[in-house]
Amino acid sequence: MSYVDAGYAIALGSLLVYAVSLVLRRRRWERALRMSEPAVEADAAPAGSEPS
Amino acid sequence: MSAQTMIRRPSWFTVVGVLGVVAMAFTVWLGLWITPPDQFQGNLARLLYIHPAIATVALYWVGLVAAGGSLLYLWPRTRSLFWDRLAAASVEVGAVFAALTLVTGSLWGRPVWGVWWTWDARLTSTALLLLLEIGYLALRRVPADPAIRARRCAVAALLIAIDIPIVHFSVDWWNTLHQGGTFIDPGFQIHASPSMSWTFLLGFVAFSLLFVWFLGVRYQVEVLQDAIGDQELEVSLSERWSEDTDLVGAAASAPTPGPGTGAP
Repeated sequence: MSYVDAGYAIALGSLLVYAVSLVLRRRRWERALRMSEPAVEADAAPAGSEPS
Repeated sequence: MSAQTMIRRPSWFTVVGVLGVVAMAFTVWLGLWITPPDQFQGNLARLLYIHPAIATVALYWVGLVAAGGSLLYLWPRTRSLFWDRLAAASVEVGAVFAALTLVTGSLWGRPVWGVWWTWDARLTSTALLLLLEIGYLALRRVPADPAIRARRCAVAALLIAIDIPIVHFSVDWWNTLHQGGTFIDPGFQIHASPSMSWTFLLGFVAFSLLFVWFLGVRYQVEVLQDAIGDQELEVSLSERWSEDTDLVGAAASAPTPGPGTGAP
């Protein structure tokens, strides 16, 4: 493999890996947010509606 | 802000990503197969279709967004976590591009200069930029109140930005191995064939578009992380509040000890 091929492969490969990792991170946080949102409402409701 | 609002992605954003990938595909095709070998460097000049473009993103676009965002955050009239998140997103993307600048430069330098690395002013200041960006990302992970973290990171980003003019002018201020402008001279005369010039220009466009897309996705991650952090805080506070309420209720309903019961 020449220096040129190596340069293109490393640059494009790294950017591809970073792009995939970003998309996966975003998906993971989106899922976590969707899961946590009802939990917050459920947890907050009894505390907020505590009569005494 | 609801989860659905935060998860929504604007359509122009996808367009930028697609355009970036298409422009990159054309750059690679033109750079590796269509353009002629250079008169002096032969095929090694093909690395110059990507290396300066990557360095431009790492230095100027990242510097502009990180320093601009940090300044706008620190300025009381424009203070918003939007600017802080944008600056943070830009520094992470910048670290990736700075690392690639060093790697692609090293791959070009080995056959042309005969060394993988030398303590040249341009190379050293670029490596310092990468280290400072990694330091910024470490600082960002230190647990703190969002406003304190934002202020701390904004100051750090502005300190990092001092390195950017040093990198830029290093080839003028010091006698370096790294050359100054090769394709374009100070009079904006281009010293390359039209196919080489267009490929070079397209490389800049491709990496710039990809930078915008990376920045957007990383910004969304930052917003989601902060939202989860806020919700966790909300859950902890509500738990704490209900515990306190239970304790008050238990104390109120407990029998009051009378005189002579042994209570101190």
